[in-house]
Amino acid sequence: MWTLARKLLLHDRLRFAVAIAGVSVSVMLVLVQVGLYFGFMNTASSIIDASKADLWVGKAGSESFEFASPFDERAFYKVASVPGVERTERVLMNFAQFKLADGGDLGVQVVGIETTAGHAPLLAPWNVIAGDANKLSEAGAIVVDKSEYPKLKIDRVGHTTEVTGVRAHVVALTQGIRSFTTSPIVFTDMRSARSFMPGLGDSAVTYVLVKVKAGESVEAVKQRINALPHLAAYTTSEMSKRTRTYWSSRTGVGAGFFTTAVLGVIVGFVVVGQILYSSTLQYIREYGTLKAMGARNSMVVRVILSQAMISAAIGFVVGCVLAVGMQAAMAKANLSVALFPGLYAATLVVTIAMCSFAALLSIVKVLRLDPASVFKG
Amino acid sequence: MTAALALNDTLPGIASIGRADTQPIAVPSLARLAGAGKIYGSGETAVTALADATLDIKPGEVTLIEGPSGSGKTTLISILGLLLKPTSGEVWIEGRNVSSLTERDLPALRARNFGFVFQGFNLFPALTALDNVAIAIEMKNPRAKDPRGEARRLLETVGMAERSHHLPADLSGGQKQRVAIARALGGSPPIIVGDEPTAALDTKTALSVMELLRELASSHGRAVVVVTHDPRLERFADRVVRVEDGRISAID
Repeated sequence: MWTLARKLLLHDRLRFAVAIAGVSVSVMLVLVQVGLYFGFMNTASSIIDASKADLWVGKAGSESFEFASPFDERAFYKVASVPGVERTERVLMNFAQFKLADGGDLGVQVVGIETTAGHAPLLAPWNVIAGDANKLSEAGAIVVDKSEYPKLKIDRVGHTTEVTGVRAHVVALTQGIRSFTTSPIVFTDMRSARSFMPGLGDSAVTYVLVKVKAGESVEAVKQRINALPHLAAYTTSEMSKRTRTYWSSRTGVGAGFFTTAVLGVIVGFVVVGQILYSSTLQYIREYGTLKAMGARNSMVVRVILSQAMISAAIGFVVGCVLAVGMQAAMAKANLSVALFPGLYAATLVVTIAMCSFAALLSIVKVLRLDPASVFKG
Repeated sequence: MTAALALNDTLPGIASIGRADTQPIAVPSLARLAGAGKIYGSGETAVTALADATLDIKPGEVTLIEGPSGSGKTTLISILGLLLKPTSGEVWIEGRNVSSLTERDLPALRARNFGFVFQGFNLFPALTALDNVAIAIEMKNPRAKDPRGEARRLLETVGMAERSHHLPADLSGGQKQRVAIARALGGSPPIIVGDEPTAALDTKTALSVMELLRELASSHGRAVVVVTHDPRLERFADRVVRVEDGRISAID
């Protein structure tokens, strides 16, 4: 069956090429659109996902990770004294103005973290590719991402500038840490962060990161913290999901990407369906002849399904290659397309389903084909 | 009542060959129509395509079916080939009445008993002669042990061994029809049904194709049933069945 299916497909190479193009574009669209969505979502929660905290504690009622309301530092000590808590660290986040080399200002997202010597912080810049992130404890030290160099108009570690009028200097460079808000992320330590954001006062905290004692239930500690007034605790995975859901639903980015992906599947379905149907019509007398000679419907259907599967397989491979190419091209534009094995597997299933459904019209045609029709001229 | 049925009207599936100086010898029929008829539509719009057709198909015989267009020839061979269900009468194959079998049961019966040859050849243009024959064998019997080997042997039988790797587009009309005959022989069906298999061929080629079909009947014991308008083919036939206005008018 495979031989017949393959030869029927390849007999008209132009038609076959159109079918493969249809499937490939469809696969590429699905991969890139869904990959972009996951890329954006990864970006949205990247700081949370990179933390080593068991719990994130913020002010109750805050919907957005980036726009969370700060609260007084006294809550930090209350959290630290909750039974089961091994260690706590403060995070101060807000937006500030970054002075550009040309004199202009750019809004940046300052992330102030604790740089306590002696143990690894629960949150720190990762993917450091140049400089020394341990120097963050220096007054005015900042760490920025390489991808933001053009926006920030800086070109080296050691560059000095001002953040909200306060002197700052770049001590390290990361790669791939980006914000969903498109404002560059600037890591600094708590002390510098407070100087960069004087409006928040000297005792503001946006999040308290919690490390739970070994053997303690994270859920139980979370409940205890939630019992404190005006605070809400989330596990790191809950916080990550909350942030992704917020951006996905509030911006409509999820619906947008998935709608385009669905349109890609529809395009593939129509192209493959039309190609298979025209091929079936071309060979309808031959199929009728086989049925007249005793070929069962299932055998003829297998030939058509085999054509659909060959189109799906080749189109999938070509589509994946195109998607990887798009991923590389988009990376140059600082757009993250998250392609991972699960997405490839899901797209393969969608492609097979798409091509199988596209073959339905052809299958119905041959199932209804009266073998006696071969005698009708 | 036709002559064939008159010789043996009590044992469906058994035909007789009458000889002047001896008692009739019973020869098993490969297929038999017994009063078969086909009516399309109902009531005032009913059209009778075939009525009361009785015919025995015997091994080793070439039967020509002749008649004007619209006379019922195609309906006759369609019913005989189990492609069309009769609205009256019976069809006997393998010694049993198969008239009431459904389309679910018929493919296997057709695969065992019939090979078809058409005026337009109906070969897959994308497949070589060898592939066209082999795929038909595989389709007829998915468990066939060596379809390509059998296809090679059949192409050799019809004199097409040297052209087995040619596409239909590279073959002449006569060569295509020989490939189609080889395909019809796939699975060794005892009956070959041809629907004007020589109509698209020039005289010389048409006669060579008929010689081949005659040979298959004489030397290989196949029953060959051919619908034709061409009276020149009668010399290859053991019997000529004439159909007019939906009835068998004569069997010569």
